[in-house]
Amino acid sequence: MRSYKHRLFLAGLALLGVLGGLFAYTQQQKPLDPYEEAMRQRQMYLETFGVLPGELYAEEGKELFFRKGPSGKTLEECDFGLGKGKLQGAYAVLPKYFPDSRRVEDLESRVYTCMQTVQGFKPAQIKRDEVKAITTYIASFSSKAKMQVVPKHPQELALYNLGRELWYHRAGARDMSCAVCHDQYAGQRVRLSPVRSPKQGLGSEWPAYRFEADKLYTMEDRIAFCYESIAIPAPAFYSEPYIALTLYMLAEATKAGKSFEELPFFTR
Amino acid sequence: MKRRTLLVMGLLLGLGLSQVNPFRARLEAALHGGGHEFARVMLAQDKGQALCSQYRDRLPPDLVPQFLAEQKALIKYPKDGKLLGDWKNGEKVFTDPKRGNCYACHAGDPKEVAFGTMGPSLTGYGQRGTSEPVVRYTYEKIYNAWAFVPCSLMYRGGVHGLFTPEETADLVAYLLDPASPINRR
Ligand code: HEC
Ligand code: HEC
Repeated sequence: MRSYKHRLFLAGLALLGVLGGLFAYTQQQKPLDPYEEAMRQRQMYLETFGVLPGELYAEEGKELFFRKGPSGKTLEECDFGLGKGKLQGAYAVLPKYFPDSRRVEDLESRVYTCMQTVQGFKPAQIKRDEVKAITTYIASFSSKAKMQVVPKHPQELALYNLGRELWYHRAGARDMSCAVCHDQYAGQRVRLSPVRSPKQGLGSEWPAYRFEADKLYTMEDRIAFCYESIAIPAPAFYSEPYIALTLYMLAEATKAGKSFEELPFFTR
Repeated sequence: MKRRTLLVMGLLLGLGLSQVNPFRARLEAALHGGGHEFARVMLAQDKGQALCSQYRDRLPPDLVPQFLAEQKALIKYPKDGKLLGDWKNGEKVFTDPKRGNCYACHAGDPKEVAFGTMGPSLTGYGQRGTSEPVVRYTYEKIYNAWAFVPCSLMYRGGVHGLFTPEETADLVAYLLDPASPINRR
Protein backbone atom coordinates (compact mmCIF):
# COMPACT_ATOMS: atom_id res chain seq x y z
CA MET A 1 0.00 0.00 0.00
CA ARG A 2 2.63 2.39 1.07
CA SER A 3 4.89 1.59 -1.79
CA TYR A 4 1.97 1.81 -4.20
CA LYS A 5 1.24 5.32 -3.01
CA HIS A 6 4.89 6.11 -3.29
CA ARG A 7 4.97 4.89 -6.89
CA LEU A 8 1.89 6.88 -7.84
CA PHE A 9 3.42 9.91 -6.32
CA LEU A 10 6.65 9.43 -8.23
CA ALA A 11 4.73 8.82 -11.47
CA GLY A 12 2.97 12.13 -10.94
CA LEU A 13 6.27 13.82 -10.38
CA ALA A 14 7.74 12.23 -13.50
CA LEU A 15 4.85 13.45 -15.61
CA LEU A 16 5.32 16.91 -14.28
CA GLY A 17 9.00 16.68 -15.12
CA VAL A 18 8.31 15.60 -18.68
CA LEU A 19 5.75 18.34 -19.21
CA GLY A 20 8.05 20.88 -17.68
CA GLY A 21 10.84 19.67 -19.92
CA LEU A 22 8.66 19.85 -23.02
CA PHE A 23 7.55 23.33 -22.17
CA ALA A 24 11.09 24.45 -21.66
CA TYR A 25 12.32 22.90 -24.90
CA THR A 26 9.65 24.34 -27.14
CA GLN A 27 9.92 27.78 -25.58
CA GLN A 28 13.63 28.08 -25.92
CA GLN A 29 15.42 30.16 -28.47
CA LYS A 30 18.77 30.03 -26.77
CA PRO A 31 20.04 26.86 -25.11
CA LEU A 32 18.82 26.45 -21.55
CA ASP A 33 21.28 26.60 -18.75
CA PRO A 34 20.83 23.06 -17.37
CA TYR A 35 21.60 24.17 -13.82
CA GLU A 36 18.96 26.90 -13.89
CA GLU A 37 16.51 24.44 -15.42
CA ALA A 38 17.14 21.98 -12.55
CA MET A 39 16.56 24.72 -9.98
CA ARG A 40 13.34 25.69 -11.73
CA GLN A 41 12.13 22.09 -11.69
CA ARG A 42 13.10 21.72 -8.05
CA GLN A 43 11.03 24.77 -7.16
CA MET A 44 8.07 23.35 -9.08
CA TYR A 45 8.23 20.05 -7.17
CA LEU A 46 8.45 21.89 -3.88
CA GLU A 47 5.52 24.16 -4.63
CA THR A 48 3.32 21.35 -5.95
CA PHE A 49 4.13 18.58 -3.46
CA GLY A 50 5.93 20.26 -0.60
CA VAL A 51 8.61 17.57 -0.72
CA LEU A 52 11.47 16.62 -3.04
CA PRO A 53 11.74 13.13 -4.56
CA GLY A 54 15.17 12.63 -2.99
CA GLU A 55 13.65 13.01 0.47
CA LEU A 56 11.30 10.11 -0.26
CA TYR A 57 14.25 7.87 -1.03
CA ALA A 58 15.97 8.97 2.18
CA GLU A 59 12.78 8.22 4.10
CA GLU A 60 12.64 4.74 2.62
CA GLY A 61 16.34 4.32 3.46
CA LYS A 62 15.66 5.25 7.07
CA GLU A 63 13.10 2.45 7.43
CA LEU A 64 15.53 -0.04 5.92
CA PHE A 65 18.34 1.22 8.15
CA PHE A 66 16.30 0.31 11.25
CA ARG A 67 15.01 -2.98 9.82
CA LYS A 68 16.37 -6.11 11.54
CA GLY A 69 18.31 -8.53 9.37
CA PRO A 70 18.43 -12.34 9.73
CA SER A 71 20.96 -11.86 12.57
CA GLY A 72 18.46 -9.69 14.45
CA LYS A 73 20.63 -6.60 14.08
CA THR A 74 19.94 -3.28 12.40
CA LEU A 75 22.48 -1.13 10.58
CA GLU A 76 22.97 0.85 13.80
CA GLU A 77 25.58 -1.84 14.56
CA CYS A 78 27.65 -0.93 11.49
CA ASP A 79 30.63 1.43 11.52
CA PHE A 80 30.23 3.77 8.55
CA GLY A 81 33.57 5.49 9.04
CA LEU A 82 33.26 7.46 12.26
CA GLY A 83 32.26 4.62 14.57
CA LYS A 84 29.11 2.56 15.23
CA GLY A 85 25.90 4.52 15.07
CA LYS A 86 27.64 7.76 14.04
CA LEU A 87 26.14 9.04 10.82
CA GLN A 88 26.73 12.78 11.11
CA GLY A 89 29.45 13.64 8.57
CA ALA A 90 30.34 9.98 7.87
CA TYR A 91 29.77 10.21 4.10
CA ALA A 92 32.27 13.06 3.87
CA VAL A 93 35.20 10.86 4.98
CA LEU A 94 34.47 8.02 2.54
CA PRO A 95 35.91 6.02 0.83
CA LYS A 96 38.21 4.83 3.61
CA TYR A 97 39.86 1.68 4.93
CA PHE A 98 37.82 -0.53 7.29
CA PRO A 99 39.79 -2.88 9.54
CA ASP A 100 36.89 -5.33 9.89
CA SER A 101 36.53 -6.01 6.16
CA ARG A 102 40.22 -5.20 5.55
CA ARG A 103 39.42 -3.17 2.47
CA VAL A 104 38.73 0.35 1.33
CA GLU A 105 35.01 0.97 0.88
CA ASP A 106 32.76 3.73 -0.38
CA LEU A 107 29.38 4.20 1.29
CA GLU A 108 27.54 1.91 -1.13
CA SER A 109 29.94 -1.01 -0.77
CA ARG A 110 30.02 -0.43 2.98
CA VAL A 111 26.24 -0.75 3.20
CA TYR A 112 26.48 -3.89 1.06
CA THR A 113 29.20 -5.32 3.33
CA CYS A 114 27.39 -4.61 6.60
CA MET A 115 24.10 -6.02 5.33
CA GLN A 116 26.06 -9.27 5.03
CA THR A 117 28.52 -9.26 7.92
CA VAL A 118 26.37 -7.47 10.53
CA GLN A 119 22.83 -8.23 9.44
CA GLY A 120 23.38 -11.69 7.98
CA PHE A 121 21.82 -11.18 4.55
CA LYS A 122 23.07 -13.31 1.67
CA PRO A 123 24.35 -11.35 -1.35
CA ALA A 124 21.47 -12.62 -3.48
CA GLN A 125 18.95 -11.22 -0.96
CA ILE A 126 20.35 -7.69 -1.17
CA LYS A 127 18.43 -5.49 -3.59
CA ARG A 128 20.29 -2.70 -5.35
CA ASP A 129 17.38 -0.30 -4.73
CA GLU A 130 17.57 -0.92 -1.01
CA VAL A 131 21.29 -0.19 -0.92
CA LYS A 132 20.65 3.03 -2.85
CA ALA A 133 17.94 4.15 -0.44
CA ILE A 134 20.07 3.38 2.64
CA THR A 135 23.02 5.17 1.02
CA THR A 136 20.80 8.20 0.45
CA TYR A 137 19.62 8.17 4.05
CA ILE A 138 23.16 8.02 5.46
CA ALA A 139 24.52 10.60 2.99
CA SER A 140 21.77 13.05 4.00
CA PHE A 141 23.64 13.44 7.31
CA SER A 142 26.52 14.98 5.32
CA SER A 143 24.44 17.53 3.47
CA LYS A 144 26.70 20.51 2.65
CA ALA A 145 29.55 18.93 4.63
CA LYS A 146 33.11 19.76 3.76
CA MET A 147 34.81 16.86 1.94
CA GLN A 148 37.44 15.13 4.03
CA VAL A 149 38.89 12.39 1.89
CA VAL A 150 42.61 12.24 2.63
CA PRO A 151 44.23 8.88 1.82
CA LYS A 152 46.64 7.82 4.58
CA HIS A 153 46.41 4.07 5.16
CA PRO A 154 48.63 2.12 2.71
CA GLN A 155 45.53 0.54 1.14
CA GLU A 156 43.94 3.97 0.71
CA LEU A 157 47.08 5.21 -1.01
CA ALA A 158 47.14 2.12 -3.22
CA LEU A 159 43.53 2.70 -4.24
CA TYR A 160 44.13 6.38 -4.87
CA ASN A 161 46.90 5.42 -7.29
CA LEU A 162 44.65 2.86 -8.95
CA GLY A 163 41.92 5.47 -9.26
CA ARG A 164 44.32 7.89 -10.92
CA GLU A 165 45.39 5.18 -13.36
CA LEU A 166 41.76 4.42 -14.27
CA TRP A 167 41.13 8.14 -14.61
CA TYR A 168 43.69 8.40 -17.44
CA HIS A 169 42.97 4.99 -18.99
CA ARG A 170 41.88 5.49 -22.61
CA ALA A 171 39.88 2.61 -23.98
CA GLY A 172 36.88 1.53 -26.00
CA ALA A 173 35.59 2.47 -29.43
CA ARG A 174 35.39 6.13 -28.41
CA ASP A 175 39.02 6.39 -27.24
CA MET A 176 37.90 8.15 -24.06
CA SER A 177 39.14 8.48 -20.52
CA CYS A 178 37.67 10.38 -17.61
CA ALA A 179 40.58 12.82 -17.73
CA VAL A 180 40.14 14.03 -21.31
CA CYS A 181 36.67 15.38 -20.51
CA HIS A 182 36.88 16.08 -16.80
CA ASP A 183 40.37 17.66 -16.74
CA GLN A 184 41.54 18.83 -20.15
CA TYR A 185 38.17 20.23 -21.19
CA ALA A 186 36.58 21.02 -17.82
CA GLY A 187 34.51 24.18 -18.14
CA GLN A 188 33.39 23.20 -21.67
CA ARG A 189 30.15 21.52 -22.62
CA VAL A 190 29.19 18.14 -24.07
CA ARG A 191 26.05 19.14 -25.95
CA LEU A 192 24.43 21.37 -23.33
CA SER A 193 25.99 19.75 -20.26
CA PRO A 194 28.83 21.63 -18.61
CA VAL A 195 31.65 19.38 -17.41
CA ARG A 196 33.57 19.86 -14.17
CA SER A 197 36.94 18.68 -12.91
CA PRO A 198 37.53 17.22 -9.44
CA LYS A 199 39.19 20.49 -8.43
CA GLN A 200 35.94 22.25 -9.39
CA GLY A 201 34.02 19.86 -7.15
CA LEU A 202 33.13 16.95 -9.47
CA GLY A 203 31.13 14.40 -7.49
CA SER A 204 29.67 16.80 -4.93
CA GLU A 205 26.04 16.18 -6.01
CA TRP A 206 25.51 12.47 -5.32
CA PRO A 207 23.27 10.80 -4.29
CA ALA A 208 20.83 12.88 -6.30
CA TYR A 209 17.44 12.64 -7.94
CA ARG A 210 17.85 13.23 -11.69
CA PHE A 211 14.61 14.56 -13.08
CA GLU A 212 15.60 13.79 -16.68
CA ALA A 213 15.87 10.11 -15.79
CA ASP A 214 13.27 10.18 -13.00
CA LYS A 215 15.63 8.09 -10.90
CA LEU A 216 17.88 8.33 -7.95
CA TYR A 217 21.58 8.15 -8.84
CA THR A 218 24.36 7.35 -6.43
CA MET A 219 27.99 8.12 -7.20
CA GLU A 220 28.42 4.59 -8.58
CA ASP A 221 25.35 5.03 -10.79
CA ARG A 222 26.75 8.31 -12.11
CA ILE A 223 30.15 6.82 -12.91
CA ALA A 224 28.42 3.86 -14.59
CA PHE A 225 26.45 6.33 -16.72
CA CYS A 226 29.65 8.01 -17.95
CA TYR A 227 31.29 4.64 -18.71
CA GLU A 228 28.29 3.56 -20.76
CA SER A 229 28.18 6.83 -22.63
CA ILE A 230 31.79 6.32 -23.74
CA ALA A 231 31.21 2.75 -25.02
CA ILE A 232 32.80 0.98 -22.06
CA PRO A 233 30.51 -1.52 -20.29
CA ALA A 234 30.02 -0.33 -16.70
CA PRO A 235 31.79 -2.26 -13.92
CA ALA A 236 29.77 -4.39 -11.48
CA PHE A 237 28.39 -2.41 -8.54
CA TYR A 238 30.52 -2.35 -5.35
CA SER A 239 33.63 -3.33 -7.32
CA GLU A 240 37.05 -1.74 -6.88
CA PRO A 241 37.03 0.48 -10.00
CA TYR A 242 34.20 2.58 -8.51
CA ILE A 243 35.82 2.80 -5.11
CA ALA A 244 39.20 3.73 -6.60
CA LEU A 245 37.75 6.39 -8.93
CA THR A 246 35.60 7.85 -6.17
CA LEU A 247 38.55 7.98 -3.80
CA TYR A 248 40.66 9.70 -6.45
CA MET A 249 38.02 12.29 -7.41
CA LEU A 250 36.97 13.14 -3.87
CA ALA A 251 40.57 13.32 -2.62
CA GLU A 252 41.31 15.85 -5.39
CA ALA A 253 38.14 17.79 -4.54
CA THR A 254 39.11 17.71 -0.86
CA LYS A 255 42.49 19.27 -1.70
CA ALA A 256 40.60 22.08 -3.44
CA GLY A 257 38.50 22.63 -0.29
CA LYS A 258 35.16 21.55 -1.81
CA SER A 259 31.93 20.72 0.05
CA PHE A 260 28.96 18.53 -0.83
CA GLU A 261 25.72 20.03 -2.09
CA GLU A 262 22.45 19.65 -0.26
CA LEU A 263 22.13 15.83 -0.10
CA PRO A 264 20.26 14.16 -1.63
CA PHE A 265 20.67 16.68 -4.43
CA PHE A 266 18.15 17.51 -7.12
CA THR A 267 19.70 17.65 -10.56
CA ARG A 268 19.16 17.28 -14.29
CA MET B 1 69.27 -35.00 -13.72
CA LYS B 2 70.14 -32.97 -16.77
CA ARG B 3 66.53 -32.90 -17.80
CA ARG B 4 65.52 -31.62 -14.41
CA THR B 5 68.00 -28.78 -14.57
CA LEU B 6 66.69 -27.87 -17.98
CA LEU B 7 63.15 -27.96 -16.72
CA VAL B 8 63.97 -25.72 -13.77
CA MET B 9 65.85 -23.32 -16.03
CA GLY B 10 62.92 -23.27 -18.42
CA LEU B 11 60.53 -22.53 -15.59
CA LEU B 12 62.71 -19.72 -14.28
CA LEU B 13 63.01 -18.23 -17.74
CA GLY B 14 59.24 -18.39 -18.17
CA LEU B 15 58.74 -16.71 -14.83
CA GLY B 16 61.20 -14.00 -15.74
CA LEU B 17 59.45 -13.30 -19.03
CA SER B 18 55.95 -13.31 -17.61
CA GLN B 19 56.95 -11.08 -14.70
CA VAL B 20 54.53 -8.14 -14.80
CA ASN B 21 55.21 -5.18 -12.58
CA PRO B 22 53.20 -5.34 -9.35
CA PHE B 23 51.24 -2.16 -10.07
CA ARG B 24 50.13 -3.50 -13.44
CA ALA B 25 49.11 -6.77 -11.80
CA ARG B 26 47.12 -4.86 -9.19
CA LEU B 27 45.42 -2.78 -11.89
CA GLU B 28 44.45 -5.89 -13.82
CA ALA B 29 43.00 -7.48 -10.68
CA ALA B 30 40.88 -4.38 -10.08
CA LEU B 31 39.68 -4.40 -13.68
CA HIS B 32 38.67 -8.05 -13.41
CA GLY B 33 36.88 -7.19 -10.18
CA GLY B 34 34.70 -4.90 -12.28
CA GLY B 35 33.43 -7.86 -14.28
CA HIS B 36 34.18 -9.70 -17.47
CA GLU B 37 32.90 -7.20 -20.04
CA PHE B 38 34.39 -4.18 -18.31
CA ALA B 39 37.80 -5.87 -18.01
CA ARG B 40 37.69 -7.07 -21.61
CA VAL B 41 37.19 -3.58 -23.05
CA MET B 42 39.59 -1.87 -20.65
CA LEU B 43 42.33 -4.44 -21.34
CA ALA B 44 41.86 -4.36 -25.12
CA GLN B 45 43.74 -1.05 -25.44
CA ASP B 46 45.56 -0.71 -28.74
CA LYS B 47 49.09 0.66 -28.86
CA GLY B 48 47.96 4.26 -29.32
CA GLN B 49 45.52 4.17 -26.40
CA ALA B 50 48.16 2.56 -24.19
CA LEU B 51 50.75 5.24 -25.03
CA CYS B 52 48.28 8.08 -24.44
CA SER B 53 47.32 6.60 -21.06
CA GLN B 54 50.93 6.04 -20.06
CA TYR B 55 51.95 9.63 -20.89
CA ARG B 56 48.72 11.21 -19.63
CA ASP B 57 47.91 12.42 -23.17
CA ARG B 58 51.20 14.36 -23.50
CA LEU B 59 53.56 12.26 -25.61
CA PRO B 60 57.26 13.01 -25.30
CA PRO B 61 58.34 14.86 -28.49
CA ASP B 62 60.66 12.07 -29.64
CA LEU B 63 57.73 9.62 -29.80
CA VAL B 64 55.48 11.91 -31.83
CA PRO B 65 56.73 11.28 -35.41
CA GLN B 66 56.37 7.51 -35.15
CA PHE B 67 53.01 7.85 -33.41
CA LEU B 68 51.65 10.05 -36.21
CA ALA B 69 53.01 7.70 -38.89
CA GLU B 70 51.40 4.66 -37.23
CA GLN B 71 48.06 6.43 -36.93
CA LYS B 72 48.23 7.57 -40.56
CA ALA B 73 48.78 3.96 -41.61
CA LEU B 74 45.43 3.00 -40.03
CA ILE B 75 43.45 5.20 -42.44
CA LYS B 76 41.43 3.39 -45.12
CA TYR B 77 39.92 5.08 -48.16
CA PRO B 78 36.73 4.49 -50.18
CA LYS B 79 37.11 1.96 -53.00
CA ASP B 80 36.19 4.48 -55.66
CA GLY B 81 38.78 6.91 -54.29
CA LYS B 82 36.23 9.74 -53.86
CA LEU B 83 36.83 11.61 -50.61
CA LEU B 84 33.98 14.04 -51.12
CA GLY B 85 30.61 12.26 -50.85
CA ASP B 86 26.96 13.12 -50.27
CA TRP B 87 26.41 15.90 -47.71
CA LYS B 88 22.82 14.81 -47.01
CA ASN B 89 23.91 11.42 -45.80
CA GLY B 90 26.83 13.11 -44.06
CA GLU B 91 24.37 15.14 -42.02
CA LYS B 92 22.73 11.92 -40.77
CA VAL B 93 26.05 10.43 -39.70
CA PHE B 94 27.12 13.73 -38.12
CA THR B 95 23.97 13.86 -35.98
CA ASP B 96 23.54 10.16 -35.12
CA PRO B 97 24.65 9.60 -31.49
CA LYS B 98 25.68 6.03 -32.36
CA ARG B 99 27.90 7.04 -35.27
CA GLY B 100 29.41 10.54 -35.62
CA ASN B 101 27.80 12.17 -32.60
CA CYS B 102 29.72 15.26 -33.66
CA TYR B 103 27.36 17.73 -31.92
CA ALA B 104 28.60 16.36 -28.60
CA CYS B 105 31.66 18.56 -29.12
CA HIS B 106 31.21 20.80 -32.17
CA ALA B 107 28.87 23.50 -33.40
CA GLY B 108 27.63 22.78 -36.95
CA ASP B 109 24.33 23.85 -38.52
CA PRO B 110 23.62 27.26 -36.93
CA LYS B 111 20.02 26.09 -36.35
CA GLU B 112 21.19 23.43 -33.88
CA VAL B 113 21.54 25.12 -30.49
CA ALA B 114 22.36 22.01 -28.45
CA PHE B 115 26.01 21.73 -29.42
CA GLY B 116 29.07 21.03 -27.30
CA THR B 117 32.04 23.35 -27.03
CA MET B 118 34.94 20.96 -26.47
CA GLY B 119 35.95 21.06 -30.15
CA PRO B 120 36.27 24.13 -32.40
CA SER B 121 33.10 25.34 -34.15
CA LEU B 122 32.65 23.77 -37.58
CA THR B 123 30.09 26.35 -38.74
CA GLY B 124 31.35 27.85 -42.00
CA TYR B 125 34.08 25.18 -42.30
CA GLY B 126 33.55 25.21 -46.10
CA GLN B 127 35.24 28.60 -46.41
CA ARG B 128 38.45 26.63 -46.87
CA GLY B 129 37.29 25.58 -50.33
CA THR B 130 37.47 22.10 -51.85
CA SER B 131 41.05 21.89 -53.06
CA GLU B 132 42.62 18.41 -52.93
CA PRO B 133 44.73 19.12 -49.79
CA VAL B 134 41.73 20.52 -47.88
CA VAL B 135 39.54 17.53 -48.82
CA ARG B 136 42.29 15.05 -48.00
CA TYR B 137 43.08 16.68 -44.63
CA THR B 138 39.40 16.80 -43.67
CA TYR B 139 38.90 13.16 -44.64
CA GLU B 140 41.94 11.93 -42.75
CA LYS B 141 41.21 14.10 -39.72
CA ILE B 142 37.67 12.73 -39.38
CA TYR B 143 38.73 9.14 -40.05
CA ASN B 144 41.62 9.29 -37.57
CA ALA B 145 41.98 12.48 -35.53
CA TRP B 146 45.14 11.10 -33.89
CA ALA B 147 47.02 11.13 -37.20
CA PHE B 148 47.31 14.90 -36.68
CA VAL B 149 46.92 15.52 -32.94
CA PRO B 150 48.29 12.66 -30.81
CA CYS B 151 45.88 11.68 -27.99
CA SER B 152 43.30 14.27 -29.02
CA LEU B 153 39.96 14.19 -27.23
CA MET B 154 38.42 13.56 -30.66
CA TYR B 155 37.96 9.85 -31.17
CA ARG B 156 39.13 7.89 -34.17
CA GLY B 157 35.69 7.17 -35.59
CA GLY B 158 36.90 5.59 -38.83
CA VAL B 159 39.51 3.42 -37.14
CA HIS B 160 36.90 2.01 -34.78
CA GLY B 161 34.36 1.49 -37.55
CA LEU B 162 31.83 3.96 -36.13
CA PHE B 163 31.44 5.03 -39.76
CA THR B 164 32.74 3.50 -43.02
CA PRO B 165 35.19 5.15 -45.45
CA GLU B 166 32.21 6.04 -47.68
CA GLU B 167 30.40 7.62 -44.73
CA THR B 168 33.57 9.52 -43.86
CA ALA B 169 33.50 10.99 -47.37
CA ASP B 170 29.85 11.97 -46.73
CA LEU B 171 30.93 13.73 -43.53
CA VAL B 172 33.60 15.58 -45.51
CA ALA B 173 30.91 16.76 -47.92
CA TYR B 174 28.73 17.87 -45.00
CA LEU B 175 31.60 20.10 -43.85
CA LEU B 176 32.77 21.33 -47.27
CA ASP B 177 29.81 21.35 -49.70
CA PRO B 178 28.57 24.93 -50.23
CA ALA B 179 24.97 23.61 -50.16
CA SER B 180 25.40 22.03 -46.69
CA PRO B 181 23.60 23.81 -43.81
CA ILE B 182 27.02 24.19 -42.20
CA ASN B 183 27.97 26.63 -44.96
CA ARG B 184 24.64 28.18 -45.90
CA ARG B 185 24.18 31.79 -44.94
C1 HEC C 1 32.91 12.53 -23.32
C2 HEC C 1 33.03 13.26 -22.11
C3 HEC C 1 33.03 12.52 -20.77
C4 HEC C 1 33.81 11.47 -20.36
C5 HEC C 1 34.87 10.75 -21.15
C6 HEC C 1 33.43 11.19 -18.98
N1 HEC C 1 32.45 12.04 -18.58
FE1 HEC C 1 31.68 12.22 -16.68
N2 HEC C 1 30.39 13.63 -17.35
C7 HEC C 1 30.31 14.11 -18.64
C8 HEC C 1 29.12 14.93 -18.77
C9 HEC C 1 28.65 15.65 -20.04
C10 HEC C 1 28.50 14.94 -17.50
C11 HEC C 1 27.20 15.62 -17.10
C12 HEC C 1 27.47 16.96 -16.51
C13 HEC C 1 26.21 17.45 -15.88
O1 HEC C 1 25.17 17.48 -16.55
O2 HEC C 1 26.29 17.75 -14.70
C14 HEC C 1 29.33 14.12 -16.63
C15 HEC C 1 29.07 13.92 -15.28
C16 HEC C 1 29.90 13.21 -14.42
C17 HEC C 1 29.75 13.16 -12.97
C18 HEC C 1 28.70 13.90 -12.17
C19 HEC C 1 28.78 15.38 -12.38
C20 HEC C 1 29.25 16.19 -11.18
O3 HEC C 1 29.57 17.35 -11.42
O4 HEC C 1 29.31 15.67 -10.06
C21 HEC C 1 30.73 12.35 -12.49
C22 HEC C 1 30.99 12.00 -11.03
C23 HEC C 1 31.50 11.89 -13.63
N3 HEC C 1 30.97 12.44 -14.78
C24 HEC C 1 32.58 11.03 -13.58
C25 HEC C 1 33.21 10.50 -14.71
C26 HEC C 1 34.18 9.43 -14.67
C27 HEC C 1 34.68 8.75 -13.41
C28 HEC C 1 34.55 9.17 -15.96
C29 HEC C 1 35.46 8.10 -16.49
C30 HEC C 1 35.06 6.76 -16.24
C31 HEC C 1 33.84 10.11 -16.81
N4 HEC C 1 33.03 10.88 -16.02
C32 HEC C 1 33.99 10.20 -18.20
C33 HEC C 1 31.20 13.87 -19.67
C34 HEC C 1 32.17 12.87 -19.65
C1 HEC D 1 34.63 14.17 -27.93
C2 HEC D 1 34.82 15.41 -28.63
C3 HEC D 1 34.75 15.42 -30.14
C4 HEC D 1 33.90 14.75 -30.99
C5 HEC D 1 32.76 13.82 -30.61
C6 HEC D 1 34.26 15.14 -32.31
N1 HEC D 1 35.30 16.02 -32.28
FE1 HEC D 1 36.15 16.94 -33.90
N2 HEC D 1 37.50 17.84 -32.66
C7 HEC D 1 37.49 17.78 -31.29
C8 HEC D 1 38.60 18.56 -30.76
C9 HEC D 1 38.95 18.73 -29.29
C10 HEC D 1 39.28 19.08 -31.87
C11 HEC D 1 40.54 19.96 -31.83
C12 HEC D 1 41.76 19.11 -31.54
C13 HEC D 1 42.08 18.22 -32.70
O1 HEC D 1 42.27 18.75 -33.82
O2 HEC D 1 42.15 17.02 -32.53
C14 HEC D 1 38.56 18.62 -33.04
C15 HEC D 1 38.90 18.93 -34.35
C16 HEC D 1 38.14 18.61 -35.48
C17 HEC D 1 38.45 19.02 -36.84
C18 HEC D 1 39.64 19.84 -37.27
C19 HEC D 1 39.27 21.30 -37.23
C20 HEC D 1 40.32 22.17 -37.91
O3 HEC D 1 40.10 23.40 -37.84
O4 HEC D 1 41.28 21.68 -38.46
C21 HEC D 1 37.46 18.53 -37.65
C22 HEC D 1 37.33 18.70 -39.15
C23 HEC D 1 36.54 17.81 -36.80
N3 HEC D 1 36.98 17.88 -35.48
C24 HEC D 1 35.39 17.16 -37.24
C25 HEC D 1 34.62 16.30 -36.47
C26 HEC D 1 33.55 15.48 -36.97
C27 HEC D 1 33.06 15.45 -38.41
C28 HEC D 1 33.08 14.76 -35.92
C29 HEC D 1 32.05 13.67 -35.88
C30 HEC D 1 32.27 12.58 -36.77
C31 HEC D 1 33.84 15.16 -34.74
N4 HEC D 1 34.76 16.09 -35.12
C32 HEC D 1 33.62 14.67 -33.46
C33 HEC D 1 36.61 17.08 -30.49
C34 HEC D 1 35.62 16.24 -30.97
